[in-house]
Amino acid sequence: MQSPTIIVAVVSMLLLPVAGSSAQGVNDAQIASIVVTANQVDIDAGKLAASRSTNGDVKGFARLMVTDHTGVNKSATDLAARLKVTPQDNPTSQSLKSEGDKNIATLKTLKGDAFDKAYVDHEVAYHQQVIDALDKTLIPGATNAELKALLVKVRPAFVAHLEHAKSLQSSLSKGH
Amino acid sequence: MRTATFAAALGLMLGMVGASVAAPSKAKAHTVTIEDMRFQPADLVVAPGDTVVWINKDLVAHTATSQVGGFDSNLILASDSWRYTVQKKKGDFAYICTLHPAMKGTLRVK
Repeated sequence: MQSPTIIVAVVSMLLLPVAGSSAQGVNDAQIASIVVTANQVDIDAGKLAASRSTNGDVKGFARLMVTDHTGVNKSATDLAARLKVTPQDNPTSQSLKSEGDKNIATLKTLKGDAFDKAYVDHEVAYHQQVIDALDKTLIPGATNAELKALLVKVRPAFVAHLEHAKSLQSSLSKGH
Repeated sequence: MRTATFAAALGLMLGMVGASVAAPSKAKAHTVTIEDMRFQPADLVVAPGDTVVWINKDLVAHTATSQVGGFDSNLILASDSWRYTVQKKKGDFAYICTLHPAMKGTLRVK
């Protein structure tokens, strides 16, 4: 009785990554959710920083994050609607959301230079993390050609943001 | 002498005709593609009267803004474009995207 159960378990484990998802373990609906959540998290942090920071460069960066990530999200949601893909919650999007919420909660306890440093440090780490996810999981995992093209297209903006955040990071550390 | 003068006069007339016909049609249309957070080509030689169209193929908005004066597109939204007719003043007009200042280009008006 034991061995058929084991075989069934093994077979279903083998089949799981194939049925409805790519070799990378995420399907297009999940990728759409990851993209939308990743952008939304950075829009929320940007809105907070644009209103709370007293540093002109940090405020400018924060406003740019709101503008750019809103633009990317519009393209992503438009495409998802056109492809009739409903973004599907998954462990990656959930952890992005909870990390984003945690970041906002931390930032709300800070002000002045400490706020700027925490916001910018997080932006550097966040953009690096998203670029890594694009390269290792999202772009290779996307099965729909248009979704894959959108992810490829969005990458240079994230790289530019990362460079921008790094240069802010170094100017903030020089200032103090 | 007469033949030579006649030939010279004819040559001059033909030259003038040629010049007057060629001048208005010489205005060229150029395209700068904004893609992957870059202006392509970043360096463009143009003449007064030429038109330049910046086409934004990125998912985020950009600008083409000359900080030495001359032109400013204001926001060029994703999938949108902006057309500029090159003015008389010659020289190199460096420009950037004011949102992403690492994006740089130059219009060389000759």
